[in-house]
Amino acid sequence: MISLLLILFSSLFFVGIIIRLKAKIAARKMPPVLQPVYDVIRLFRKGAVYSNTTSIIFKVAPLIYFASALVAALFMPIGSLKPLLSFEGDFVFFAYLLALGKFMMILAAMDTGSGFEGMGANREAFYSMLVEPAFFILIGSVALFTDNISFHALFLNFNVDSNLAYIIGIASVYVLIFIAMVENSRMPVDDPKTHLELTMVHEVMILDNSGFDLGLIHISSWLKFSIYGALISNFIIQGSWAFYWQIAAFLGIQLAFSLTVGVLESFKARNKLEKNPQWIIILSAISIVVFLTALIITQKIILN
Amino acid sequence: MTYLFIILYAITLIYFALSERVKKFVWLLSIQGVILFGIVFFSLNEIEIFDFIFILAETILVKTIIVPWFINKVRKRNNLKRIHEPSVPVFYSIIVVVISLLISFLVSNHLQSNYIHTKYFTVSFASILFGIYFIIIHKNIFSHVVGYLIIENGIFLLSLAVGSEMPMMVNMAILLDVLMGVLVLGVFINRIGNTFESTRIEQLSNLKD
Repeated sequence: MISLLLILFSSLFFVGIIIRLKAKIAARKMPPVLQPVYDVIRLFRKGAVYSNTTSIIFKVAPLIYFASALVAALFMPIGSLKPLLSFEGDFVFFAYLLALGKFMMILAAMDTGSGFEGMGANREAFYSMLVEPAFFILIGSVALFTDNISFHALFLNFNVDSNLAYIIGIASVYVLIFIAMVENSRMPVDDPKTHLELTMVHEVMILDNSGFDLGLIHISSWLKFSIYGALISNFIIQGSWAFYWQIAAFLGIQLAFSLTVGVLESFKARNKLEKNPQWIIILSAISIVVFLTALIITQKIILN
Repeated sequence: MTYLFIILYAITLIYFALSERVKKFVWLLSIQGVILFGIVFFSLNEIEIFDFIFILAETILVKTIIVPWFINKVRKRNNLKRIHEPSVPVFYSIIVVVISLLISFLVSNHLQSNYIHTKYFTVSFASILFGIYFIIIHKNIFSHVVGYLIIENGIFLLSLAVGSEMPMMVNMAILLDVLMGVLVLGVFINRIGNTFESTRIEQLSNLKD
């Protein structure tokens, strides 16, 4: 229960810290940390406008997107703090819950009948497809390394005690940071601040959403950031630490992660669209190296 | 500790496949030199002290500093373009390098021999395969030199794999070979650059006597 509350709590501030840091770096006046929350509250007060061409799918998609992100948060442990739900192989369920939400958003974008939104949906589906093997190979390798297949047991037994385990930890954090960036359509693949529909990926998909629906989509994106931050923190927090240290470390890592995203977005140029696939496949390549490392540690590959 | 550097070496191979900028090639070669230094430092401590120091000096001086510095000079002198487009899309190159890594790890798993240290064999085999592939996909003579140096790093690892008691003479010969190769190719690139004002190899097929 505590882990869920922590994730929800940190999600409130996550995007606020990013935009604050970006404003600071660009020497603009900094908005308050809770500015995204105020924006969403304003959106919730408004009604939604629906185009005549849309069907029921367009109306339920934001709800399903939000619900899938929220349910995915239930599976996320933090250190030795138990998640609300946990079963064997729940990381597959977790990944496909997030994929379900994304799938509904893609359907909704197609539902509007706009050419731009179809194009954005196409790109988003392609990038998600490329990033999926990276996630599964990575978590699969960690599962092989710790010999457990549920999130809670897997991270509880993830002990960084040898040099090779450090490689697994560092490479996993690196890959997960960029998976989070791709899944949330942030800088190196997509620019959330772009104003040209032709170059948008995620933003063009939600052009037709307004009011309440748009608010839900924003909240889901905070939640997804916070969930991935929790996933990253699990690689660093050890189950043997004291309870309050784990919570402090979690909050610290979330803060560091949001600052990393802010710095990356301020200084990194956006990839050319044609370079995106190769940039994303590199995450899978590094995951395969992690997999080979796990094979060496568990003596599945015997070298002398 | 050796495994750590071996895995890092595998990661540099992946970044070789990803990068398209010439300057990055030079950096990656330099990083590979440091990694080879680490591998030698943590694994070859039962050989004679003079040989040990010589091999360490070879990796840190020649592979990390002199060769990258020299080819960087060649790059600047010939005003090479920042980006060399390979003839195969980078997407496929990354898949190729990953497959070659997987194959070489699997092959070394089956090579149960007392004479071969399979832990070095893994990345050395992948490095040689990838170096050849790197030469094939690039149309630029400068990148061919880089590919040659990748192969050479693989051969260095292979020499560690077949026994840590490698004769001094062989070591000296390989070192001399590499240095001469890079120097000659550097001069060659400079001459081509002066004559054709480009380093693309298509120019060479127009030569007639």
